Amino acid sequence: MTGYDATLPRSEADVVIVGGGIAGCALAYHLAMAGTDVLLLERGSINREASGTNAGSFHLQLAIHQLSGKGTAADHDRLLADARLSLEADRLWDKLSGELDGDLGVHRTGGWMVAETEDQLRTLYEKHELEEQAGIETEVVTGAALRSRAPYLAGNLLGATYCPAEGHANPLVVAPLYAKRAQEAGATIATGVEVTGIDRQPDSAGGRFVIRTSGGDLRAHRVVNCAGAWSGRLADMVGLRFPVRSEGLHVNVSERRPRMFEPMIQHIGRRLTLKQTEVGTFIIGGGWPTGTSTHRRYPTLWSSAAGNLAVALDVVPTLADVRIVRTWSGVIVFTDDFSPIVGESEQVPGFFACVASTGFTFSPLLARQLAERMLDPATASGFPQRYSLDRVSH
Amino acid sequence: MHDGERYAVLVVGGGPAGMSAAMTAADAGLRTLLVDERPTLGGQVFKQPGLGFAVTDGRPLGAQWRYGHRMVQRAEGSAVMTAMRTAVIDVEEQRDGWNAVLATDDAHTRTVFASRVILCPGAHDRPIVFPGWTLPGVITAGGLQSLVKTQRFMPGRRMVFAGSGPVALAFPAQLAEFGADIVVALEAGPAPNAADVARLAGAAAGNLDLLIDAARYRAGLLRHRVPLRYRRIIVRAEGDRRVERVVHAAVDADWRPIAGTEETVAADLLCIGYGFAPSLELLRLIGAGFDDDEALGGPTVRRDRWCRTTAARIYAAGDGTGVEGSKVAIDEGVVAGLAAVMDEGSLPEEKAVAAAAPALRRIRRRRALARATARMYHVGRGIYGLADESTVVCRCEEVTAGDLAHVIATTDDISVVKALTRAGMGPCQGRYCSRHISAMIGREHDIALATIAPSTPRMPVRPVPIAAIADRAVTDPGLFTAPSGNP
Repeated sequence: MTGYDATLPRSEADVVIVGGGIAGCALAYHLAMAGTDVLLLERGSINREASGTNAGSFHLQLAIHQLSGKGTAADHDRLLADARLSLEADRLWDKLSGELDGDLGVHRTGGWMVAETEDQLRTLYEKHELEEQAGIETEVVTGAALRSRAPYLAGNLLGATYCPAEGHANPLVVAPLYAKRAQEAGATIATGVEVTGIDRQPDSAGGRFVIRTSGGDLRAHRVVNCAGAWSGRLADMVGLRFPVRSEGLHVNVSERRPRMFEPMIQHIGRRLTLKQTEVGTFIIGGGWPTGTSTHRRYPTLWSSAAGNLAVALDVVPTLADVRIVRTWSGVIVFTDDFSPIVGESEQVPGFFACVASTGFTFSPLLARQLAERMLDPATASGFPQRYSLDRVSH
Repeated sequence: MHDGERYAVLVVGGGPAGMSAAMTAADAGLRTLLVDERPTLGGQVFKQPGLGFAVTDGRPLGAQWRYGHRMVQRAEGSAVMTAMRTAVIDVEEQRDGWNAVLATDDAHTRTVFASRVILCPGAHDRPIVFPGWTLPGVITAGGLQSLVKTQRFMPGRRMVFAGSGPVALAFPAQLAEFGADIVVALEAGPAPNAADVARLAGAAAGNLDLLIDAARYRAGLLRHRVPLRYRRIIVRAEGDRRVERVVHAAVDADWRPIAGTEETVAADLLCIGYGFAPSLELLRLIGAGFDDDEALGGPTVRRDRWCRTTAARIYAAGDGTGVEGSKVAIDEGVVAGLAAVMDEGSLPEEKAVAAAAPALRRIRRRRALARATARMYHVGRGIYGLADESTVVCRCEEVTAGDLAHVIATTDDISVVKALTRAGMGPCQGRYCSRHISAMIGREHDIALATIAPSTPRMPVRPVPIAAIADRAVTDPGLFTAPSGNP
């Protein structure tokens, strides 16, 4: 399965998907189920990057990373649309274990998002209003009610929103199960194959693209960029510029402890995602950077551990004596304008993409929508203009 | 960013190698910090009695203990600064040196800066997985040695010793001297033959002390009527909630048990001593290059003749670089210490070369002896094949060999195995199970053990409380803030 010197199993395909993360595997699954000829290329192994190294949380509440820093008013329409997308993602996850016929480890633990300052509390109320408009169930809880419902939270917190639908799935099994079902439906998956270039041949009958790979050349009618953190590089191969950057994220893991609380805990103003897993370990992250290094892919950073854990301790003081046993890191893709990149390029017909931040929560949904669009462009609804592949290139 | 403490040299590990490296650096006038997890210097081999014990007569403790005691006293009287009960849990490279995060008991961690770091992490018992290895009453040679050395305590009455290499002779002899009832001592390797004796004689120059020790240990076993049986290996430990019986068998040249040769013996203590394995966590974390030699404990950090690793400004010495014993460790400590002093510009090269020459000469002689014993002390691959399906391999996460085999059938990537089984995710961070899992992968996919990449090394290398790490002075670095110019 590993080894980066694999040869291509075939030399042409209708659709070539680049990237074996959750987006690529989900898309391969939906297309193959509909009978499309699909070949998925993965440089390393399936699910070894962000899709398998994130903490598996469902981020359904509007979160700090969706806010531009100007409050909710400046981005009202985008945030409302995002909240509606969350609702749809929520419904999809509800049925996904059944659809893929496997245990994805979906747990609806509920989720808190806490506020420490008056400003942050105001933001909580604003976002609660937006979520209500979109149909997501959240509530703002303050004062004595918060103390009694969440006695583990620090006494100085001013309030928190609660979203019962939040929770997590097991990131180690989701993409691999999509991949397995895709293969059963006829998709070909080639690992250890790196794409090194894409040539456009608009008038060729054998396919509009020649894809240069470490395992040989390949012809395809359509190419889908599901390369996440590396999607910018892939877009560049056909002359498109994606508004993306990638960052390593630091995560801390503790020893096992008896159950302290069920819900996931996030912070509206500081970087924190905290949860206690089924086995009792605490996973603490939320957007702290990793260093750059040549000898390890994404080294974890002491300063990130120190800063991240300080926030955790401010929010749940009883974590003080819980021991951290390990840290890990993964890479994440950020879009500079907070919107995903999904659909078909107008400038490069036949070139598609499915790239999103918070990809674990949203990629299954976006991949399904993209598959519907690719299978039946006439009837499936299109994507909002802000998702466009060409938005920076124009 | 460090907390204001700066050193020219940081030495990690207070055993023979660390003490000698630190004294070499400090004697040359360099500001030197020596860090060790234990309350006293000396490491495992020169381990001093625990707190609350006072030695009134050093004679019964043996020549090795007395030698170590003198070395500890010399280190304590030197200019070396020490931080005891302190673990280095992370190191991060800086432009002109390294930051090291120090954890002392449960106090808040502190970060110190050092221009150069000498890693002398020592070794631990080579972890061996066999049915019953997690039963109470099974103990490693190092663990039992610690109990005896620091607490004067023997946790059983009838003991079986199973092991190989120099330890298999020395350790039962020492324990018999201490009063242990050793039912049988099993050595997986072969008895010395005429050719071995000739080779030993050829390598005797400069090594007489070790050979005399070996002869004394053998005589001790005879005196205490401890049967020493060659070419036999532990097969399993049995009993109801603790060791009651030990099953052993004859092995072939690669240490695979031979069917029909099993014998069962009643015992309540099983001591396991199949040699030692280097402690690699920090060496892995700095990204050092490795070679592999099972006779030296498995992965061995790659170094030049000055004990420089492939990582800038990092040196390594002692059993943590390949297990060769305390004498080599002391000499390597001198060489690494001199190298750090020379590289800091505090000693001209020709003087460093002259100063290191005696130590390098002694190391060469020891290695000649190691070559002479290679046939007897060869570690067979069968050592990693003793588990059956239901044997727990990762005891932190309770993952069995069967669970692992199921996943290993589909991948040769240890990180994937870890992710799918949780093996190696517990507090010991895979110290116990990772070599065994690598060997399983090697067998299943027909890959040499030496070429199987370990899972990604991660800090902290010891578990540390959240309150000891948390630091409010570190603020959000703003990863999620869009670059300027965007909405």
